[in-house]
Amino acid sequence: MKAAKTVLVAGFCLAVTMTAQAVELGAAAPGFTASTFDNKPVSLADFRGKVVFVDFWASWCSPCRQSLPMYDKLAGEFPTSDFAVIAVNVDEEVTDGKKFLTEHPVKYITLQNPQGDIPKAFGLSGMPSSYLIDRDGKIRQRYVGFEPTDISALKNEITRLIGKPADAS
Amino acid sequence: MRRNLRLLFLILVGASLFGCAATEVKPWERGQLARWDMRWDPDPSQTAIANHAYFSKEGTSGEIGAAGGGCGCN
Repeated sequence: MKAAKTVLVAGFCLAVTMTAQAVELGAAAPGFTASTFDNKPVSLADFRGKVVFVDFWASWCSPCRQSLPMYDKLAGEFPTSDFAVIAVNVDEEVTDGKKFLTEHPVKYITLQNPQGDIPKAFGLSGMPSSYLIDRDGKIRQRYVGFEPTDISALKNEITRLIGKPADAS
Repeated sequence: MRRNLRLLFLILVGASLFGCAATEVKPWERGQLARWDMRWDPDPSQTAIANHAYFSKEGTSGEIGAAGGGCGCN
């Protein structure tokens, strides 16, 4: 009986740890390092002090066909000294992501994460998902799904965060 | 007997808790499920043509899966 209880408790703990927990707003963004499609390593920590928009996308995600070009335009509307867009491709086949980028080229940094540990760390609840991170590395907004009408609210939030110095947002 | 029932209860609770947790497909793992050939009906146009041929030849309306009347002249 005691053994059964032990197995039950151990199993419960395992199930809890296997469940991806969504990061809370105001919490520090999980750090990550991944390679671009040109195999250059990039870390989120490299952008500390800037407002960062992290977007998770995949070639099979229909709304991403709309969101990537719009985020590319968005990235060009703010100074690179204050704002950066980092896209994380979660395709299990890296070639699928590459092909998608050939058809829908973007100028911002795009990382490959076929093993899915970065979306797991963020605890994604849907695709596409994106996070707005302030200059202190804290998550300020979380967006699940994409509608073209979301862009104006996103722009306003980026402008607000850029206007606030580090440790003040 | 009572002890066996408790053990059975624990096993059932355990199975219901962990059985599903292990098989969950995360949002970023849906690439295979999103493939065109994983659709219930991978080619709706071809299905519509086949259904039209079927209900025309059989003289029925309502296509497949539903009863219907009509002259069967379409």
